[in-house]
Amino acid sequence: MRGKMQPTVYNSRNPRMPSRPIRRSLLFSFLLIIVSGWAAAQTPNWHVPEQQLADKISAVTGPGAISLELANRSSLTRTQAEEIHRGLLQELSSLGLRSVAPEEAAATINISLSENLREYVWTAEISQGKNEPAVVIVSLPRTSATDSGHATPSIILRRTLLWSQPGRILDAALLNGTPQRLFVLDANSVTIYQMLAGRWQPQQALAISHSRPWPRDLRGRLVLRKDHLLDAYLPGVFCTTAAGISLTCHESDDPWPLGVADPPLNAFFASSRNFFTGALTPGVGKQTSAPAFFAAAPLPRDRYTLWLFTTTDGQLHLLDGFTDQSAATDWGSEIASVHSGCGSGWQVLATAQDSDDSKNDSLRIFEVPDREPFLIGQPTEFRGEITALWPQTDGASAVAVLHDSSKGEYEAYQLTLACDQ
Amino acid sequence: MKRTSLLWLAINSLALAGLAVASLMITTVARAATRPHYGGVLRLAIAGPVPSLDPADATNVSGQTAIQRIAPLLFNTLTTLDERGEAQPSLALAWKSDFSSQRWELQLRPGITFSDGTLLTANAVAASLRVANPRWNVSPQGDSVIIQSDAATPELPAELALSSNSIVLREGGKLIGSGPFTAAQWGPGKSLVLSARDDYWAGRPFVDSVEIAIGRSPRDQMLSFELGRLDGVELAAEQASGAVAGGRVVNSAPDELLAIVFSRGVQSPEEGRLRQALGLAIDRNLLNTVVLHSAGEPAGGLLPNWMTGYEFLFPRSPDSQRARQIHEGINQSSAWSLGYDQTDPAARVIAERIVLNAQDAGINIRPNPAASPDAQLVRIRLVSRDAQVALSHLALMLNLATPGSQRASSQMTSSPSTADLYAVENTFLQTQCVIPLLHLRTSVALARNVHGWSEAQDGSWNLPNVWLSPEKP
Amino acid sequence: MTFRRKLLVIFALTVFISVATVAIIVSVLARRAFEKADDERTAALVAQFQHEFNRRGEEITARVAAIAASDAATRISYAFSRGDKDYAPFLGDARTIADNQQLDFLEFVDGQGTIISSAQWPAKFGYPDASLPLSQPPQNAFLKKEDLPDGEALGLFSIRRVEAGEGHDEAYVVGGSRLDKQFISGLELPAGMRAMFYENFNRGFSPQSLIDPSGSSQDPQKIASFVQHVLEQKQESTTLIHWTSNPAEDETLHAIPLRGLDNQIAGLLLVGSSRRQYVELRQQIRSATLFAGGAGLLLAILLSGWAAARVTRPVEQLAQAAREVALGNWDTRVNVHSSGEIAELADTFNHMTHELLEQREHLVRVERIAAWKELARRLAHELKNPLFPLQLTVENLVRARQQTPEQFDEIFHESSTTLLAEIANLKAIISRFSEFSRMPQPQFHSLQINDLVRDVVKLVRAQLQGPDRAAIECTMQLADTGEIAGDPELLHRVLSNLVLNAMDAMPQAGRLTLLTHAQENSVSVEVQDTGTGLTPEECARLFTPYYTSKGHGTGLGLAIVQSIVSDHGGTVSVRSGPAQGTTFTVVLPRNLDKLREQRNENQV
Repeated sequence: MRGKMQPTVYNSRNPRMPSRPIRRSLLFSFLLIIVSGWAAAQTPNWHVPEQQLADKISAVTGPGAISLELANRSSLTRTQAEEIHRGLLQELSSLGLRSVAPEEAAATINISLSENLREYVWTAEISQGKNEPAVVIVSLPRTSATDSGHATPSIILRRTLLWSQPGRILDAALLNGTPQRLFVLDANSVTIYQMLAGRWQPQQALAISHSRPWPRDLRGRLVLRKDHLLDAYLPGVFCTTAAGISLTCHESDDPWPLGVADPPLNAFFASSRNFFTGALTPGVGKQTSAPAFFAAAPLPRDRYTLWLFTTTDGQLHLLDGFTDQSAATDWGSEIASVHSGCGSGWQVLATAQDSDDSKNDSLRIFEVPDREPFLIGQPTEFRGEITALWPQTDGASAVAVLHDSSKGEYEAYQLTLACDQ
Repeated sequence: MKRTSLLWLAINSLALAGLAVASLMITTVARAATRPHYGGVLRLAIAGPVPSLDPADATNVSGQTAIQRIAPLLFNTLTTLDERGEAQPSLALAWKSDFSSQRWELQLRPGITFSDGTLLTANAVAASLRVANPRWNVSPQGDSVIIQSDAATPELPAELALSSNSIVLREGGKLIGSGPFTAAQWGPGKSLVLSARDDYWAGRPFVDSVEIAIGRSPRDQMLSFELGRLDGVELAAEQASGAVAGGRVVNSAPDELLAIVFSRGVQSPEEGRLRQALGLAIDRNLLNTVVLHSAGEPAGGLLPNWMTGYEFLFPRSPDSQRARQIHEGINQSSAWSLGYDQTDPAARVIAERIVLNAQDAGINIRPNPAASPDAQLVRIRLVSRDAQVALSHLALMLNLATPGSQRASSQMTSSPSTADLYAVENTFLQTQCVIPLLHLRTSVALARNVHGWSEAQDGSWNLPNVWLSPEKP
Repeated sequence: MTFRRKLLVIFALTVFISVATVAIIVSVLARRAFEKADDERTAALVAQFQHEFNRRGEEITARVAAIAASDAATRISYAFSRGDKDYAPFLGDARTIADNQQLDFLEFVDGQGTIISSAQWPAKFGYPDASLPLSQPPQNAFLKKEDLPDGEALGLFSIRRVEAGEGHDEAYVVGGSRLDKQFISGLELPAGMRAMFYENFNRGFSPQSLIDPSGSSQDPQKIASFVQHVLEQKQESTTLIHWTSNPAEDETLHAIPLRGLDNQIAGLLLVGSSRRQYVELRQQIRSATLFAGGAGLLLAILLSGWAAARVTRPVEQLAQAAREVALGNWDTRVNVHSSGEIAELADTFNHMTHELLEQREHLVRVERIAAWKELARRLAHELKNPLFPLQLTVENLVRARQQTPEQFDEIFHESSTTLLAEIANLKAIISRFSEFSRMPQPQFHSLQINDLVRDVVKLVRAQLQGPDRAAIECTMQLADTGEIAGDPELLHRVLSNLVLNAMDAMPQAGRLTLLTHAQENSVSVEVQDTGTGLTPEECARLFTPYYTSKGHGTGLGLAIVQSIVSDHGGTVSVRSGPAQGTTFTVVLPRNLDKLREQRNENQV
């Protein structure tokens, strides 16, 4: 029957073969994403599957007295499960199945709310007399689970989920204004979203063209500009909207801007790798090179800017324009400095892994009063790996991209620091 | 504000002294989440035999897991399955089927080259698929490939993700792939050295090369691993829970079926009842928790619950009393023999435990590692995280195909619903030819400097994403 | 059997019996010695087994005690006293510890006997082991049957409580060694002995339960009944097992029941002692005996032959001499060159022949004189009878001449007739005597004796039925005698004489019977009459010439008969008694060779 209604089946994501169903599914995924972003406040519509399951149960038992037990084996919350329980009872009673005590029931129905990789699977085992129980099943696509249950214990770091999508997010930028805009950089495009009626609505997708294959651990930097909308830096590719609203990309090994500092610092990125080569421009003071590094964070001092580099050899290098001081730390390779106004004013956010066999990363906040980093507060744990951490243009916040492998989604968070006082 | 700064300074100066200590302590509990490093040689070992690198070589059943792990390193498939088990573009960028799901058109990704520089063409893809699937009618059409089959194949995109459907350029006995690595050295059945392709279309792998020792027993592997000669080794299920010196253990989702498979169909209703009773007599939970150190999950169905969502509906709790009731009055003519893999110490204990459980229920069965037993304890890897594909493959492996199920699946022009899948799996189980016991995780022990490890659901290793940190393990 | 042979046999038997007796005695003594040695060796082996058994037991007890006091056992005891019945952490512990401690069996069980970890059957965790004596754990090692996945085994076990301090639930360590080939192989066995072990699982005899480190591929079924017997009798027993038809393969099997904790027989120690040595010894004795016996017999034959020859030669000479004497060589003498009884015997023999010779000569002389006397008497008698009429006639003539010359002529005529008649009578008498003295040598011709008999009967038949005398009935019973060689005339005279004799013997009528018989080399003729018969004395003198019992005749008839028969090489005999009639039997050799000789002579 499904085949008749939808004679041709297409794969879901295919930018090169656009078609009506893809747009439909895109729309659906947007809806889902929005639902997920606002999941705590939203109530999914369980009515249809409740009705389907009730119909199937009724077809087996016919009208009569039943006893119904419901077990939740899925990632649905208890509240949601109770809601479904109530809905089911309603649907069943409308079909003439009264819920009674088990000893009075003609049929015992055990409902299980289960799930697989793609769907919620609701099963009903219907036992009547001594016969083998009959089983009926309905399934419905799974929505993304929400992150609502996860509260940040730290009062220092605040994170706000900006966007999530299945594809890898390289960077995101928030442009405050009316309406608020969100720019999301991924391997193929820069997508612009607009906040309308409390939801991010896609406004435009600016495709990124490139001829060479992307390196495996693809990184990209999105920089909002004052004179034009934005620049996007990708390995070996530079894209800009300088020529208008459209995004023009060309192969380039232009240096990428690092952090927000005065004077600004740029660094060359290895086009087929995932790190900066170490060549700096215009340099930190007289220092125009550093060891190859993954990330850099400036800490403005009164007379100079101290630059922190996480080098590919796992060390932390501190450059002040004259000296290159290295230290072995347990820092991850992603760092970003944020101006909070608390403490010394600038703190460094650094990634760290929870434990050896965990795929969950955490963010730690360090003060660097002199040259020695000093941990402040508890690490903030994330459900997944942090694949990108870039400072925002204003310097007061950073964007972290989290890869939640359990959901298979990439999430972009805005990170701000609040004084714990 | 100034007061605050002073306070901060005071705190800082006090804390500075403890900084080194603190960071040391953190070092012991936390590991840096660094970006992947390029370079290095990854040394791995594989137990299973790999007589040939040809992924379409179906004769090698015992080494299926091994070839599934190796094939994606050398070859690509047209599609891959994502974490939800849905087909995603790989060498094929897009695909569509006709109404009957018998004719599929797959558009190829342009600009892909094989490791010898040959451009991937529709002709090459068609030729490769024909070798792997003689029943398909594969024809090139421009930059697309048309696949036609007699029956409806709604799951074709997922099926194309199977490593057996890898695209291989066969030139004069040489196997050339478009995968992230090329085979630098191949000692058939002994060792394989892979080197990373700089021009790989999905990005050069992080490591420069991968050395894979083949046919090493788990015990041998572990010894080498502990001596630091290997960076990653396969673990036997019962080893997985234990601490591994100098490394960590990565577990997959339960993706391997441990089951009793009978060598022949049910000959009489009494035999069917006996088999049913045997299924009820086995305490799967103790097998899992005690013998396999919780390396898996008790299984009532063929496919695990995470894949289907309904597996719990199949009985898996022991019910010795009911088992007795079921086969009451049946006179078992002779004891069944239960075969198992002699090389697997856990299999022996499992077989012996099953025998004890069966005896409790009054069923006479004896462990017998010799050839041609009545029933065999088998471990079968689920080749796909697409439930339908995995079930079809299982049915094929276990020889479970029933006329009803074939008809049912051939009539489906779209992917079967979960309820359909349940019905098919239930039919398979009703044949009483297989008693599922456990779904096992597969585990790999990794050295501390190995990062980015993820094991795909079909048992392949996603080695391109693995990288080695410069620190010494 | 000759004397020499008898002597040989007696000598050989004596030697044989002596050798056999010695062999039997040696054999019996050897067997006893062997059995005694065997018993001693078995006893030593059993003692060694017991010692080894105890030593192993102590060793196991020590190991089990060490395990019970180890951290591992304490950890298990502690974990289970907390109540979390999680077997998982300990699943492989028993195996590992058992391997380290070189134990075949090791189990950790809780106070109720539930297995926590098992080395021999890892899958049996959580199952109770009912066979454990947890209420009163024995201090020493004990035998116990142990269930295994692939059957049962017998082991030497020890049990120890885990000392885990106060407040802990009880836990026990049960460890043991399997009574297997290795265990049995550890025993030091004397040559020719082997030890086996039979595990008794109360299922009847099973060859698989027999642990035989020697690995002999014999048929275990041969000891099935013995094992069953010992298990039923529950006491030590010994038997002889014939593994094959070869006695050297035989084995004396000594079974010692070993009891488990429940006092049931857990197994049997089977001590096998090969009979090979004994059988070989017996074979050697037998061979030596046979050789000695054979050699002895040979020697005995040679010696006894020589001895017998020495002893019997004079006797044989004597016997030969006796035979010679019997043949008539009365002058035979024995020359014996020895001394003693044999020489005396020979002398006596020689003396005897000498005496015999002298006696015969004396007898001959006497008989000759007697014969001459008889002849003279008969001659006188015969001649006197005619002379008396002659005298009377002559005297009558003289008187007639004197008294009546007229009548003289007449008387003379008459008297001369009488005289002539008597003279003729005298002449006849004289011619008969002369005829007897001139008996001719027989001329051999082929003839049928029956024909002769018929001729004779034909001749006398008229006389038999003559009117002047009483009738005599004559019958013939003639057998098919075949051809003989003889002089028909002489033989005819023999038969005629005998028939006439018979007729003379039956003046008052009677029956005359003539019978012929055929023997292989001879024929015989019997002439029977029913006359008055003869006395033995008459019989003895019957063939003496000129003897007659009749009132007439010369008395030469039977003498002639004997003379003719004798010339034919035959014999004539008489059988008679008073009033029994008389039977003469003439036996004539066939003499066919004489016929050939005569023919040859004629041809020459």
